[in-house]
Amino acid sequence: MIGAFIDGPLWYFSLTVFLLGVAWRLAGIVRRGVAADLAPARGDAARGALRTIFTRALPRRPVLHGGRVQMIAGYLFHLGLLVLLLFAQPHVDFYAERIAGFGWSTLPHWGFILASEIAFAGLILLWIYRVMNPVTRLLSGFGDHVASLLVFMVMFSGCLALGQSHEALRLLHLFLAELLLLYFPFSSLMHTFTFVLSRGYTGAAMARKGVNA
Amino acid sequence: MARMKFYCDAERCIECNGCVTACKNENEVPWGVNRRRVVTIKDGEPGERSLSVACMHCSDAPCAAVCPVDCFYTTDDGVVLHDKDICIGCGYCFYACPFGAPQFPDNGAFATRGKMDKCTFCAGGPVEDHSADEQRKYGANRLAEGKLPLCAEMCSTKALLAGDADVVSEIYRKRVVYRGASVLSRGVSYQNATLRAPSGLKGKASSRE
Amino acid sequence: MHRLWPGLVLLLCLCSSLNVAGQTGSEGIAVPNPGSELWREVRQRSQPLPPGGQSEAPGLALLQEIRQRRLSEMPVGRSQLAGSGAGAVFINSLGDTWRRLRMERLVPIGGYLLGGALLLVLLFYLIRGRVPIRAGRSQHKLYRYSPYERLIHWFIAFNFILLALSGLILLFGRSLLLPWMGPQLFSAVASASKEGHNLFGPLFLLALALIFLQFVRRNIYQKGDLTWLLRGGGVIGKKHVPSNFFNMGEKTMFWMLILVGGVTALSGLVLLFPLFGQGRELMALSHLAHAVTAIVMITVIIGHIYIGTIGMEGALEGMRTGYCDLNWAREHHDWWAQKCEERGETVSAEDVARARGEVSPAHIAEERGR
Repeated sequence: MIGAFIDGPLWYFSLTVFLLGVAWRLAGIVRRGVAADLAPARGDAARGALRTIFTRALPRRPVLHGGRVQMIAGYLFHLGLLVLLLFAQPHVDFYAERIAGFGWSTLPHWGFILASEIAFAGLILLWIYRVMNPVTRLLSGFGDHVASLLVFMVMFSGCLALGQSHEALRLLHLFLAELLLLYFPFSSLMHTFTFVLSRGYTGAAMARKGVNA
Repeated sequence: MARMKFYCDAERCIECNGCVTACKNENEVPWGVNRRRVVTIKDGEPGERSLSVACMHCSDAPCAAVCPVDCFYTTDDGVVLHDKDICIGCGYCFYACPFGAPQFPDNGAFATRGKMDKCTFCAGGPVEDHSADEQRKYGANRLAEGKLPLCAEMCSTKALLAGDADVVSEIYRKRVVYRGASVLSRGVSYQNATLRAPSGLKGKASSRE
Repeated sequence: MHRLWPGLVLLLCLCSSLNVAGQTGSEGIAVPNPGSELWREVRQRSQPLPPGGQSEAPGLALLQEIRQRRLSEMPVGRSQLAGSGAGAVFINSLGDTWRRLRMERLVPIGGYLLGGALLLVLLFYLIRGRVPIRAGRSQHKLYRYSPYERLIHWFIAFNFILLALSGLILLFGRSLLLPWMGPQLFSAVASASKEGHNLFGPLFLLALALIFLQFVRRNIYQKGDLTWLLRGGGVIGKKHVPSNFFNMGEKTMFWMLILVGGVTALSGLVLLFPLFGQGRELMALSHLAHAVTAIVMITVIIGHIYIGTIGMEGALEGMRTGYCDLNWAREHHDWWAQKCEERGETVSAEDVARARGEVSPAHIAEERGR
């Protein structure tokens, strides 16, 4: 009974909350707008925005210094997670059945495992770094810890369900993923989408001022 | 209750692999899985012998002893079966079995193991008899229909015998006696017997049971 | 003549069945029937074989031939299904050896060893109690572990605990958990353990490599290590034995982790990727090596965790914050502390606390309060 609830209503509810919540948050940010910059423009804001969105993917050298492990772990985690979220065969099957109605090409199983190894290594390293480093620890609020714990639990339960043979394990994974979806729009996990806005804003503002940043 | 046993007569097995094929067809086992195999020793030399091997349905089964989730059980007929819903595909039974009976479909990453598959003595599994579930997971359930495993039923030389241990051993005992008679009357062993029947025995010694 | 046949056949039957029943006496009629004798020997393999059995029982020679006893032996048979895992090996004697080792040695002895280690640690704590910093905490600290070192330490610790728990579930679950969990639930738990164990295994190997590269130089044995060992690391007697950055015990733990843990990790890889044609014999051996070394490592790590947490005051700080108390360093790593002091590397505890954000400057504390 609880399985049917997790598999049916709760899934659709959390998906709706996720979609509406993300839309609402993004709309809120966009609607606030940007304070008019009255100074004469010294560069093209749009081009600067576009450029910064991509160039910020690599930290500057002074930032990189001393934070190399963090950057490597960050890339491992985010790329691994993205790959296994979008191209793992059980996930694609699920999307095809529940959302899209069609599937797409998937990773071979060994690629899936490799992606999970990479994502786990990154996540654990980042998590330890977060609680170990005084700066990140003080920066992290309760919500951030909930978010990283939820992400870890979702990934971990997914790893436990890799045998794809026990319905209970699949439901546990699905339930935790639903909790994550419910929590997502109201947490710092929104950086998945808002990083474009923040980087774009910075890039636009700087480019308009003629600053090469 | 009957005590179900396989018995392979090395004097009769001609390595036709008919039992292997019959098993594969009847149980629709996954690709790469063979519940039964024929092993030939001294291949091409004098004294060549072949034996058909599958799960021996041991009384004290090593697979059942080492299984970390205890998914094996022995039926009233003495058939060793396992529950695929419980099996976690660890491969320990494969290490422990002397006869190499447990097989694994390598459908996972880096050839990780799926759920174990082995000879069921055509007795299905721990689900409802003749259900689609049983057919998919365990293959045929001929025992419930009152039939014996297809490998033995199909054996063209009746080398592979299956059934109640008492009956099987009785058949085999008779064969041995007739072979002994053949030696005494003809002066030759079964091993290099002529195909001519001893005058006193009807037919070939080897065709008698 | 024809009338005599039935009686003769009956007589022969008697003789032959006696013969078949196991009396391969030399006075019996020799019936060359390798097949039946082969099976008889297979059945009666636990019984002592007749002396010089080979000449008397032709099946025995065959049986000896078809039983695969050692890893190096090539299978004597052939099978058209060579790819079926067992292939041409007819009877694998190692299988039953492995079963006995696992069920009669590994599970009970391993269980007692781990339980004993826990009990020993508890007893030690009850008797000796927590090892205090005798001089009390000082106002100064020493920088002991860099962020990277702490990062990889906790990374391997995290992996180790996950692997140990899931591995122990697989090893002892059937006797400890299955009875009260029931087969369905335990199967799910065991499946989860297996998958988790498989996924985190390679991460442990990665962490092991990082640990090795980072710490190997400080773990090479030195002159004072023997005295440390002879004096029992300070457990015997009251005085502490001087040592360098790592003492003899820590160094030994490091090398055990690298060597024994390395065997665990590598044998794990043999089990994890059954796609290089390794047979079941090699995998059974790998499993034994994996389990034995893992149990040894878990026992060692139980001690490590005990000393690092409740067993000794001030021991956890180095790995937690990166800084250790000066008095703690003087008492436990004398030579290292001396060297640090000579180089003037002591830091005031207040500075450390402030750098770690444990103590806020007054204006921030005020801000927080509001």
